[in-house]
Amino acid sequence: MHCASSPIPELSEFPLAMRYRVVHSTTYSYSEPVSLCQNGIHLTPRKTSRQSCLAHRLTICPAPGKLEEYVDYFGNPVHFFTIPDAHQEMLVTAESDVSISSAAYIPPETTSLWEHVRDSTKTAQTVEALDARQFLFDSPHVEACAGLASFTAESFPAGRPWLEAVLDLTARINRTFVYDPTATNISTPLKTVLDMKRGVCQDFAHLQIGCLRALGLPARYVSGYLLTAPAAGQPRLQGANASHAWLSAYCPGLGWVEFDPTNNIVPSLDHVIVAWGRDYSDVCPIQGVFVGGGQHRMNVSVDVRPIETSGN
Amino acid sequence: MNPANIASEKLGAESVFHRYEPLGPVYDEMFAADGRMRGHWQEFANLLDALGPQELSRRWEQARRLIHENGVTYNVHGDPQGRDRRWELDALPLLMDSREWSVLSAGLAQRARLLNAILLDLYGPQQLLREGLLPSELVFGHPGFLRVCHGWPVPSDRYLHLYAAHVARSPEGAWWVVADRTEAPVGAGYAVENRIVIARMIPHVFHHCRVQRLAGFFIALRDTLRDLAVRHRDDPQTVLLSPGRTSPTYFEDSYLARYLGYTLVEGEDLTVRDNRVFLKTLGGLINVDVVLRRVRQEDCDPLELGGTSRLGVPGLTHAARRGNVVLANALGSGLVESPALMAFLPALCRRLLAEPLQLPSVRTWWCGDAKSLAFVLGRLEHLVIRSALGDTASKSVHGASLSTSEKEALAARIRAAPAKFVAQELVVRASAPVWSEGALRGGHVALRTFSVASGDSYQVLPGALAHLSASSQALGESMFVGQGTKDVWVLADGPVAAVTLLQPPGTPLAPRRSGNDLPSRVADNLFWLGRHVERAEGSARLLRSIFTRLIGESAPGGSSELAILFRALTGGPPPPNDSPAGDSGASAMELRVLAFLYDEQHRGSLQSVLAALGRVATVVRDRISLDTWRILKRIDDDFHPGYPLGVISLADVLAMLNQMVLTLSAFSGVAMENMTRGPGWQFLDLGRRIERAMDMIWLLRTTLFIPAANEHAVLEALLEIADSSMTYRNRYATNLQLTPLLDLLMTDETNPRSIAFQLAALAEHVERLPGQQSDPLLSDEQRLVISVLSAVRLADIGALVETDGNGIRQQLDQFLKHSAAQLCDLASGISHKYLVHSGPAHQLAEIHRR
Repeated sequence: MHCASSPIPELSEFPLAMRYRVVHSTTYSYSEPVSLCQNGIHLTPRKTSRQSCLAHRLTICPAPGKLEEYVDYFGNPVHFFTIPDAHQEMLVTAESDVSISSAAYIPPETTSLWEHVRDSTKTAQTVEALDARQFLFDSPHVEACAGLASFTAESFPAGRPWLEAVLDLTARINRTFVYDPTATNISTPLKTVLDMKRGVCQDFAHLQIGCLRALGLPARYVSGYLLTAPAAGQPRLQGANASHAWLSAYCPGLGWVEFDPTNNIVPSLDHVIVAWGRDYSDVCPIQGVFVGGGQHRMNVSVDVRPIETSGN
Repeated sequence: MNPANIASEKLGAESVFHRYEPLGPVYDEMFAADGRMRGHWQEFANLLDALGPQELSRRWEQARRLIHENGVTYNVHGDPQGRDRRWELDALPLLMDSREWSVLSAGLAQRARLLNAILLDLYGPQQLLREGLLPSELVFGHPGFLRVCHGWPVPSDRYLHLYAAHVARSPEGAWWVVADRTEAPVGAGYAVENRIVIARMIPHVFHHCRVQRLAGFFIALRDTLRDLAVRHRDDPQTVLLSPGRTSPTYFEDSYLARYLGYTLVEGEDLTVRDNRVFLKTLGGLINVDVVLRRVRQEDCDPLELGGTSRLGVPGLTHAARRGNVVLANALGSGLVESPALMAFLPALCRRLLAEPLQLPSVRTWWCGDAKSLAFVLGRLEHLVIRSALGDTASKSVHGASLSTSEKEALAARIRAAPAKFVAQELVVRASAPVWSEGALRGGHVALRTFSVASGDSYQVLPGALAHLSASSQALGESMFVGQGTKDVWVLADGPVAAVTLLQPPGTPLAPRRSGNDLPSRVADNLFWLGRHVERAEGSARLLRSIFTRLIGESAPGGSSELAILFRALTGGPPPPNDSPAGDSGASAMELRVLAFLYDEQHRGSLQSVLAALGRVATVVRDRISLDTWRILKRIDDDFHPGYPLGVISLADVLAMLNQMVLTLSAFSGVAMENMTRGPGWQFLDLGRRIERAMDMIWLLRTTLFIPAANEHAVLEALLEIADSSMTYRNRYATNLQLTPLLDLLMTDETNPRSIAFQLAALAEHVERLPGQQSDPLLSDEQRLVISVLSAVRLADIGALVETDGNGIRQQLDQFLKHSAAQLCDLASGISHKYLVHSGPAHQLAEIHRR
C-alpha cells in the first residue's frame, strides 16, 4: 500500500531535527514536437518556523530562455520559465537539502474550544487573524457542498477542545475513506469524493479543508514530500514516492497546526513542506501551457533521503 | 389635465409631442410633474416640429438602413454561428441639461476614483480589511480577487482606466448607481455609433441644440493609454484584445479599434517571450506596449489565472508584473463590481478620499451582516435579492414576484449562506418619449455612463447609452436585454467646439507604406475572404447558367448540356428522368439544384459558401473599407432565404443570381481599385486567384472529361460561365471549337478568367511575400508556382484535347488534376508559412498523488 497508516506517535520516539535531500523529477514526453512551452513551478521548499532550505538546485532540460524567480501571494517561491525551442521531452529536476525540527507536542485537551476558534478568527483585528481569514472561504478546488458540515459535525460537538476535534476528524477521514489512485482525477469535485469515499492525498486534504471551512475554521492546503521508511529488510526504493499533500489549520494562540489525513498523523519530522495555499490550485508543482505536442505523458519521481549530519 | 395637453398649448396642435403621455408615476425626462416641458427640451421640440413627423419618419427609415448597412450588431449569446442581432436604436435622443449633467459627472468621477482607491488598497496593504471597514468575505471569498496580482505596482497606481456605471432616476429625479462595471466595460463604442446615426439623421437639430461632443472622451482615453507605455513612449504599440467574433460585443471591439487606431487582436495573435508581449505578424514579432483589454480577467492567462480559455495569452500576467506591458483595465479590477460593495461605499469614501460619497448607490444590504440579514428577511417582498459578489450565473429575484412558498425557499437559501446574498431596493426607471411607427409613446430609460482616467481623476463621457425597457421595474443592467437604446445628448451652456480624433493640422507626419505588421491571423482571414468571395462567384455563375437552362427548356429531363453542368455543380450524374417529382411539381433535377442553392447543410451549396463568407467578413471588418463592407452586406441581402418551389419561382432565383453576380463584381472592383497594395490586399488576392484557378480547373474537368454528344452546347455554356463569350466571338466568330476555347480559358494570359492569368498573378504575389526577396534561393512556394505556370504555358492544347481509346480525354484530365494538386500544395504551403498558427495551447499540471 502506498500510505502508511499508524497511530499518532509519542513525541519521545522522534529525534529533534532531521536533514533530507529531496530529488523531485518530472518528465513530460510528447508524441509530437512542442513548439513553445511556458511553465510556473512550485518546487522550492519554503522557509517555515521549523524548516529551512539549505541548498537548492533546479535543472531544466532543454534549457529554458529565462528563469524568473518570484514569491507568490502566500509567500511561496515560484519560478517561471519558457522553453522557446521545439522539443519532445521536458525534464524538470528540483534537488533540495532541507533541515526540519520537530513539531512541539500540544496536549489536545488544553486547546481552546472550537467555537471560540471560529468566533475569534472572524472578529480579531490582528494581522495573524486577518491572514487566517484568507483560508475561510471557498476556493477553486474546495467548494462548499451539502453533507460537508454534517459529516464534520460528528467530530465537533459543542464545547470540544479544537485540537481534539480536528484530530478526531483527521482520524475519521483516514478510517472512512479508501486510498484509491484510480477513483479521482484533478477535477473531481469535493462532493464526489465525499460520496464515493475514495481518493488520494490531494482529495483527502481538500476534503478536510472543506470540512473545517464549513464550520468557519480556517484551513489551508500544504504540498510537499513524505519520507516513507522501507519495509524491514527491503532496500529503500528510488523514486517510489510521489509528491504529497496535507493541510494545516489555524488556532489563535497556537498558530497553524498540520494534519495529514492520508496517514492519520500530525506531521513533524517526516514531512517536508514545499508550499501552501488555499488549495491545490495555488501550489501546483508544475503548471504549464504548451503549444503542439499531440499526446503527452507525464512521469514523476520523488526521492527523499535522510542526510547524515555531524550535529545529530 | 393631461400634462401633454398643457405642453401642447405651447407646442401648437401640430406638435410631434402632442400625443406623448409620460408614463408616471415615475420621473419623466421631458415633462415636469406639473405638465410643463422641461426647459432643455424646448428648442429640440420646436426644431423637430418644424421638421414634421412625416419627414422624421422618412429620415428615420434612411437612418435604420444605415445601421443595417454599417452592420451594427451584437451577438446575444455569443452564438458561434454568428447569428447577430441588429442593434436597436430609437430615433429620438434623450436630452440632458448641462448643469444637471455636470453634477452627475462629478459624482461618477468621484466614484471612479473611489473604486480605483479601493483596488489599490486591496491589491496592496489591505488596510480596509485590517480596519474592518470591509468584510473579508467580499475580498478573500471573491473569485475575482486575483492573488497573483497582489503586491506589485501598476503604473500611476491606476487599476481602472475605463469605468462604466449603470444609473437610474428615483421618482424625484435623483440619480442612483445601480451597477458598476470595472472589468472590461463595454458600450462606449455603441454610444458613438448611436451618435453618428442620429446626428446624421437630423444634423440641423443636432447643431442648433449645442450638443456636447463625444470625441474628447476618446482623445482622453488615447492620451491615457499612450502615457501608460513603458517603452516606445513616442509611438507605443497598443492593441485592443478582443474575445473574438463569439463575443456579444465583437462589433464594438472592431469599431473601437478602428476608431482609436489600435490593432484589433485576439489571444492567439499575441505571444509572450522573455516576459514581453509580442504581436505575431507576417513580418515577424512586434513588441506590444499597451493592451486595451476586453477579455475577462479569468480568461486572460491560462498559465497564472487558470481556466482552459483560449482567449488569453499564456504569460501575460508575469509580463505585466515585470512592467513590460500595461493592461487597461488592470488585471484584478473586476473585484469591485460586487453589488455587496455598495453597502460599504459611503464609509470607504470617507476613509479613502476623505470626502462624502456624492452619488448614492441603490440602497443595498449585505446579508453577511447579522442586522442586515434580519432586516432583509423581514421585508423580502419589497426587495431585490442578488448574488453578493455579482456572480452572473445567478439571477436577481424581485421578492414581490414570488409566491409565499417561493419566498420561504429563498429565505432558507439566504439563511444557509447569508454572506452570498445582497438585497437591494427596487430602482424604478424614468420615462421618456420613444418614436414608434410615426408617433410617440412612453418608454422607460436607464443610462450606462462611461468614465476614463485622465490626469489625477476621471473624465466622464458627455453622453451615454440609454437603455429602453417596457417596464419601470426592469432588473437587468445588460446592454442586450430590453427594447433597444437611445442616443443621449448632453447640452452645452455655450458654443460647442468641434473635436476630432484626427491629429491637428500641421502635425508633422513622416510618410509611410503599409508594412508587414499585419497580424498573421488577419492575413489568414483576408486570404479566406478572397477564397470565399471567389467561390461564391463561381458558384453563382454556374447556378445562373443552370437556371437559365432550366427555365428555357421545354421537356422535363432537360437539354443534354444541363446534365453536364449538373455534374460540374454536384460532381455526380443527374437524377434519372423518371425520378418522382416534388409535391410542387418541381422536377427531381430542379429540387437537387435548389438544394445546392439553399441548403446550408449541403457542403458547397451557395448558402453555405455565403455563410462562411459572412463569418470571415465579420472578423476582417476593421481591415476593409466601409464600402467594401456594405458590398459584402449586400451580397447577403441579395440572397433570399430558401423557399419551397411555388413560393419562389425559378425566374425569381435567376433574377437573384443575376443581381448577386453583379454585386460580387462590385466587390472585385472595389478590391481592385480601392485597396492599398499592402500585404492585406496581397493575401486577399492570393486567395481569390487560387480559388478562381481551382474553380476553372474543376469546371473544365467535369464538363470536358467525357465528350458530350452535343459538345457545342457545353462549350457555349462554358464561355458563358467564364464570361468569355464576347472575346471568343470577336476572335473566332461563331465557329465553336474546343482547342481555341481551351486556349482562351486555360492558356491565354490576357483573359482575366483563364487559369494562366491566375497563375501569373500568383507568381507575382509569391515573389513579393515577406522574406522572399532577401533569399537568393527559390522558396518552395516559388518553385511550385513556377512549375505549374510553366506547365500551363508549355501545354500542347492540340494534344490535350485528343480522346483516348475509351473515348475520354484522359490526357487533359491528368494535366488538370496535376495542376490542381500543385495549387493545393501552394495554398497549404502559404498557409503553413505565413498564416496558420501554432495551434491551440494545452495545459499540463502535476497532481499530488501520494
